[in-house]
Amino acid sequence: MDKIYYFMKRDIISFSTYKTNMLLMVLSAVFGALSYAFLGANAQMQSVLEMYNISLTTYLIIGIAFNTYLSQSLTLVQKTINPWSLEEVLVSPTGLVTFIVGSSLWGFIWSTGTIVIYLAVGILAFGVVLSINIVGTLLVVALGIGTFIGFSMIGAGILILTKQGDPVTTLITIATSLFGNVLFPPQVMPIQLQVISYFVPQYYFFTTIRQVLTGSSLLSILPDLTILILMCAVILPLGYYIYSWCLQTARKNGTLSWF
Amino acid sequence: MTASKEYAIETRNLTKTYKSKIKTAKNQRSLFSHKEKRIVAAVNHLDLQIRQGELFGLLGPNGAGKTTLVKVLCTLLPPDEGTALVNGFDVSKQQMQVKQSIGTLFSVGERGFFWRLNGYSNLEFYAAIYNVPRNGRKERIIEVMELVGLKEHAFDFFQKYSGGMKRKLALARTLLADPPILLLDEPTTGLDVTSSRAIRDFIKNDLIKKTGKTVLYTTHYIEEVAQMCNRVGIMNKGKIIALDTPDALKDMAKKGEVAELVVKNMSSAQVQALRGMAGVEEVAAQVQDAVLGQTRLRIRLTDVDALPRVLDFFFKEKIKLVNFKQEEPTLEDAFIELTGAGVGR
Repeated sequence: MDKIYYFMKRDIISFSTYKTNMLLMVLSAVFGALSYAFLGANAQMQSVLEMYNISLTTYLIIGIAFNTYLSQSLTLVQKTINPWSLEEVLVSPTGLVTFIVGSSLWGFIWSTGTIVIYLAVGILAFGVVLSINIVGTLLVVALGIGTFIGFSMIGAGILILTKQGDPVTTLITIATSLFGNVLFPPQVMPIQLQVISYFVPQYYFFTTIRQVLTGSSLLSILPDLTILILMCAVILPLGYYIYSWCLQTARKNGTLSWF
Repeated sequence: MTASKEYAIETRNLTKTYKSKIKTAKNQRSLFSHKEKRIVAAVNHLDLQIRQGELFGLLGPNGAGKTTLVKVLCTLLPPDEGTALVNGFDVSKQQMQVKQSIGTLFSVGERGFFWRLNGYSNLEFYAAIYNVPRNGRKERIIEVMELVGLKEHAFDFFQKYSGGMKRKLALARTLLADPPILLLDEPTTGLDVTSSRAIRDFIKNDLIKKTGKTVLYTTHYIEEVAQMCNRVGIMNKGKIIALDTPDALKDMAKKGEVAELVVKNMSSAQVQALRGMAGVEEVAAQVQDAVLGQTRLRIRLTDVDALPRVLDFFFKEKIKLVNFKQEEPTLEDAFIELTGAGVGR
């Protein structure tokens, strides 16, 4: 905990020196929430209401808000363990996992703040109604973050070897926006494309998070939740294995600190 | 290999190779040309022992394998063959114990620092990850900052530090956990004369004499190791090709004579002619004063009998001698003789 505290202190001090950026990020969240809320209040997407029994505004606000967790997780390992600091990390007697956890906490706290802004705008200005299943929300968020940290480790591992160009992050970002059930349900797409959604964990994350935030019990979301658990159970260890292998290969080749 | 208490660092048959792909001469300009695979031994079957409390200088030209050796010793690179013990711990099998025994300063010392934090906060972060006990951590940070002469700038932003201050902070980082062994990889590269001297004095007077630490000091600056190290190893192509005290290494180059002269109005053709003379082994020429047309020459002769012939050459060519002295061979002469390479001064 002592180490984690100093990671947090480092990141908060560092972040607080960029005051303009901090203000812009808050404004961006507020105006982003307003834009999607106006869109939701005035657009029609019948299938959304049928599937989730929620308003389009609620659908969009939850999607865009919780996507910040996934975006944060997806680039987490690359940001933490980069060539600039990798050697310093590896020669210290602190393990990689502590580095990754310690370096990510402030980002997640900031993301949580952003989510609160999105939800607050939705609730206060557009009548979004939430009935939060706290245990379910925490579980789904943990599974989503775990899965995306797995992807992040795969991307970071590839980046350690290729130095530039990480196809995993690009592919996952594309998959999230097209098949991830963030801004529209896959059911609005042709059936051939819909099928792809069922193979990406984002679909199950956004489906279940909307349900647990609008009052569904864990039992009622069990089928989708089980798939998300299985995906996380495969992707997270796989990411760790790939990252470790790439790191070991770069150490063997002596290319760790190359850019 | 059994650990010896006498040695802080001990390697046996240590080898580290790199695979590289090089474009063949035919296809230099082609983007997707065939590349030839080559294996380069950066550290080549190296046997080295560094005693406890010793300031050991490792001298070598760029690409000699010094940095690779440091990276193997600090567990960053796994060796391909052989063994290396640091503080009695095996770098391949006891990595955590090795990490707790060493402080490592890489040649790019400012890596890993956070530019938006001040010097103190940077060290506070590293003190935590280097397991410096929380009780007394603050005092330790101030102590190491004072040691390296940064106490007055402790609360300045790191981004405002000069190159020398950044390097000093990196040195302070290596000292935080008070490790018995320090691996300092080219700690003065890129620094001005004053900063370099301050760091060298600190290492020699404070680290070695007062605290008795063991220091492996790599550099390609000859004067540094000549002035401060107990023993010097000359490394070339992954091997230690000579290892002794600086004085003993100088003696190796005493087979010939060295003359240092300042001459006036000597043409490059005349320098070439001098190089071609019998008994002249090497001529280093450097413009001393372009306005006055003065050139400084350092001539290595195979034996003392060649000297009159050289002086006669200047007389016949009507080259005016401004200054002349016979010199003792230096460590640089030994280095050049052993490696056949020039080094930075």
